[in-house]
Formats: sequence, C-alpha cells, structure tokens
Amino acid sequence: MELMEKLTILADSAKYDASCSSSGSTGVGKGTIGNTSFSGICHSFASDGRCISLLKILMTNCCIYDCKYCLNRRSNDVKRALFTPEEVAEITLNFYRRNYIEGLFLSSGIIKSPDYTMNLLIETLELLRHKYHFGGYIHVKAIPGASESLLKRLGGLADRMSANIELPTEGGLKLLAPNKESQNVTKIMQYVKDNRSRKYVPAGQSTQMIVGATNESDWDILNRSANMYDNYKLKRVFYSAYIPVNQDKLLPSIKVPPLKRENRLYQADWLMRYYHFNVREILNPDRPNFNLLIDPKAEWALRNLHEFPKEINTCSYRELLRIPGIGVTSAKRIMAARKKFTLQMSDLKKMGVVLKRAKYFITCDHKYFTDMMHFTSHFIEQNLILEDTVTFEEKREQLSLF
Amino acid sequence: MKKRYTYLYNGEFLPLLGLIDMLLKNHIVPQNIKPDTADFDLFDETVLLEVKNLDATMQQMIKVFGKQVFTTIYYCFLSEHEYKELLIYYFLAHYLTYGHDIYVMRNLTSVHEVLKISQYVSRENHKLKGFLRFKELENHVLYAEMAPVNNIIGLLSKHFKRRLSQEFWIIKDTKRQIISVYDKKNFYIVNADSFDLFPLNESLEERDYQKLWLRFYQTIGIKERANSRCRRNFMPKKYWQYILEVKDEL
Repeated sequence: MELMEKLTILADSAKYDASCSSSGSTGVGKGTIGNTSFSGICHSFASDGRCISLLKILMTNCCIYDCKYCLNRRSNDVKRALFTPEEVAEITLNFYRRNYIEGLFLSSGIIKSPDYTMNLLIETLELLRHKYHFGGYIHVKAIPGASESLLKRLGGLADRMSANIELPTEGGLKLLAPNKESQNVTKIMQYVKDNRSRKYVPAGQSTQMIVGATNESDWDILNRSANMYDNYKLKRVFYSAYIPVNQDKLLPSIKVPPLKRENRLYQADWLMRYYHFNVREILNPDRPNFNLLIDPKAEWALRNLHEFPKEINTCSYRELLRIPGIGVTSAKRIMAARKKFTLQMSDLKKMGVVLKRAKYFITCDHKYFTDMMHFTSHFIEQNLILEDTVTFEEKREQLSLF
Repeated sequence: MKKRYTYLYNGEFLPLLGLIDMLLKNHIVPQNIKPDTADFDLFDETVLLEVKNLDATMQQMIKVFGKQVFTTIYYCFLSEHEYKELLIYYFLAHYLTYGHDIYVMRNLTSVHEVLKISQYVSRENHKLKGFLRFKELENHVLYAEMAPVNNIIGLLSKHFKRRLSQEFWIIKDTKRQIISVYDKKNFYIVNADSFDLFPLNESLEERDYQKLWLRFYQTIGIKERANSRCRRNFMPKKYWQYILEVKDEL
C-alpha cells in the first residue's frame, strides 16, 4: 500500500479525536530537531474550524474490539492499514521541518493485543526521540489493558499521554463498547497521575467523551468530568458531539451532531476549571440538562439574581469571575486598575472588558447602565437571548452579501 | 503658546529611543515624531537632531524603564501604526509619572493604544509561528515567504533559530522586501535587493510531501461539522496566499 493511501485511511480514522492542544509542555527530550512551545501553536485550521497543530493519525485502524460507535470496529468492512514506525517518523519529521505541524498525535486501534499495540507505539516514539532526536510535541494514546511496564516506557517518551473514557457512564460503555472496561482507562489515569514529572508526561493527561451517543444527561457527563478533574488531575476533558458513522439499532438515529450541547459542555467545563464553579452550581440531578438558549454562566447568574448587581469597584476577585461576560483577563485587569482609580463604564470599555453581557449584572461607581427598574430577570433574560439572536442574524446577513 | 515641532529619526529603534530620551530630558513635547523618509505636510516644521552615545543611552534607559517596558515599546515600534513613535513618547512620559502602574492604567489613551498595538504585534508573531510554510530547496535549504501586517521577521527568526537550529533556512517578507538568513549559528536580516537568492528550485521530495500534507489537511476536517466562518476567524484570509493547504481556495 502506498504511503498516501495509508495516510488517508489513518488520518481519516483519527479525526474524531478532539484533542489538538500542544501546550503546557516543557519538553521531554532536548532533541536537536524541534522544541515545544509552552503556550502551544496552531499551525492550521481545518474546514470544520478546528485547529490543526499535530499530525493526528492512528498507528493502525485494525482493531480486535467491536465498539458500536467506532468506524474501525471489527465488524465493519473498511479498508485497513498499518504504518511502520519508520513511516510515521519520516512523515512527522518532514512535516515538522516544513513547519506544517507542532508534533505528533498518535493513537491506535488495538491490533493483536493491547501489549502488542503498545510496543508498536513505543517503537515509533523511540525511533523519533532517540534515533532522530525529535524534540517536538508528542501526544500519545495509551492502550487500555496494556501492562504497567509499557505505560512506564511510553510515558517517558511523550509530552502528553492519555486514554479516552469515551462514554460517561458504565452503562453506556457496556451497551456500546462491550469489550472495554472503564477500569482499564482509569487505571492508566491513575498511573499517569502518580508518576507525572518533568521527564514523564510533562504536559499532563486529557481524555474524551462522546456526547449524544447514549442517553446520558448533561449532568451525568459534567459530573463525570468533575470527578475526573478531581481524582486524576486531568488537564482537559474533551467533548465530542456524536457523529453517526455506523448503522446500529443501539445507536441514536441523528443526522446533525449535537454541536450546541457540546458547546455548552465546554462552557461549563471552563466554569469549573477557571471560574471556581462547583459542578452542582451549574447543573444538578433535578435540573440535569443545559438551557440551549443561554450560556451556563448567564443562566447561573439569572437564577441567583439576588446576588447582583455587583459593584465593580468593591466586589471580590471571585465575585468578579462570576459576572457573565467577565473573563479571567478582565477580572485581573479590573482588580489591578481599581486600586489606582474608581472605574466607570467607559474605563471598562477602554480596558477591553466586553460589556455586552456584563452590563446587566454590574454597577460602576454605583451607577447601573440604565434605569434600575429594569433590573429584573425577565428583562435581562430577554435581552441576553435577543442580543445573541441579533448578532446571529447580522452575521447571516453579512454572509449572504458574498 | 510654545511652538511644537515634528522630530525626525532615521527609522531605527535605538535612534528613536535616543531621540525620545532627549526630548523627555529637556521637557520638549513634540508635534510628532517620524522617520526621515516619511511624507510631510507643507506646514510641518521638522527638526533632525543628532543623538550621540546610543549604547549608553540604551543601557541607561533599560535601567530606568526595565525590560518589560522595553519589550512593550519595541513590539509597538514593529507595528505600522501611523503615530507609533508619538505613542511611545507618551507611553514613556506616563511611565516617568506613574511607574509600573501604567500597565493597569488603560484609561490613559496612549497607554491603552501602546498596549493594544504591542499585543497585536505579539499575536501576529505567534500566529505566523504556526502559519509559516517552508519548502525544501535542492540544496536542502528551507525557504518560506510571508507578508505580515507588522514587521515581525526578527521575532519570528528568533523562534525558528531555536526550533530549527540544525537547518539552513531563509524567511522572506515579500511586503517589506527583506529576508532573514540563518546559517545554523545566527540569523541575519538583510534587504532582499542586496542579497542574490540562488534559483529557488524545489528538492525532489518536496512535491511528494506537499501532496501528503494537502491530503492530510483535506482528510482531517469533519464534513458534518463544516464551519468556514470559524476557520476564517482563526486563520484570516490575508495569510492564505502563503499557506500551502488553503492558497488554492482563494
């Protein structure tokens, strides 16, 4: 099989993995070719708008498992390919020199056995790191069920090593991925967490969950994420809107992937990681799903309107972070600036604070942006939804001009 | 009212600093500061001052202002902003009053502008760290072209000096007609006219890797999620001309 055909098959199979980040590493090996950038670098953007920073491929799409949602399940009649370690190294290095990529993302179907597959991955990474002295970023997927000694070797060669949980609940996994056990995935996470160092998986680990393939609620998913952040010190949980690639009576019959739901999950994920929100403040078993019209932070604020409006000049940093429309950068700028002078609305604008959402929830020097009689959840909610739709309409008009 | 003049410098960073230093020391408020190659209005009264001891001035200014300020104004200087010199002057003048607090005093227009411009340059530099595309020439030299909004070739060269330290590479800014040449030790930024680029024939393998990359690019996008708006947001069309995988879509 020609290299071109292999690359096509094995990139096509890898594309559903959402992870593309190349940040947060101080570098495992000080190679002679390449380095890592702490902030990460996006090299291109695909037709779906997702960043391309790594050469994202599978080692092979042969697989002994038969997961219902997966293109490469055993029972599917698709063309199979297997890279040699030398081929992966060659493409990676040549793409890297030309600055197409920041490094390699290597995952794999399970060929013969987990250990056998792991050895293939190790061989490839050793070739890159030791023979070619490649110092760029490598994100490798560990194979669930592989032995610990192999986890140890593989992690020592990669900037990031991770394993995908795929489905948020045990029930979902049993239904759609009968050969997989979530225990095997969490074992990898535990191992990486316990052994992480400057020389072992310095950029930490991440995982991915498919959204919408089973009937879990948003609460199930988010709660699972919260647990994993707490228990395994994950850097990221990626959410991947389910895209039907197989016909199966166990799978939902949808045509359009639930992208808005995925978007809400990411927003909520950010609230947990950077905005000190507890998962129960965002969702709970009684209110298990997101409002698709309003983002989770604004929704929370509307439910807790008695805590607002916040006076920008006196409220605490944590309170600032909870104001819809105010992000980490804005909050820090406000904290620093208000020590020097009293902030007015116009100052916020100059500081780059976006007021579109924030203005409903704040006062500046005790002044509200409009008459305080409008400070009702009804008025605010309507305007928030309206502004989103207006922008959407405007955008659509702009688009139709071309 | 005291008459204000437009002051001239030779277009380089250090002489500009020397000039501003002198203006600040003598409490002179300029009408404007411009490179001596700029176009002037009929009524502009211009002054060209000779600044001596540039090295000493710089050392002293680094001492007074610190490295962060130096980086901020240097990045601002690399922009194409019409009043960048004047903005830098006011930025430094404010610094003398407020010290490091100016970094949070974005309510001052010149501070706000300088920080904004500086960040814009830094971001464009970051973008091109990703978007630059090298091709391999017959003699194994890597060659890339770009046309950035800001003059970032020096910043970018620093990045590739670390990243591709064992390669010979050349980066050309086609907008400014300058090139950066790296010889595995240092890079040199020279005028494109003064440097005879050998014929730029691609190596034998080059076409194959370009094809592989194009195929990878086309394969990796998920068509059920197609979103050209989002792609353009992250990768503005002004850069496409030199990005191998999208230039044919222009």
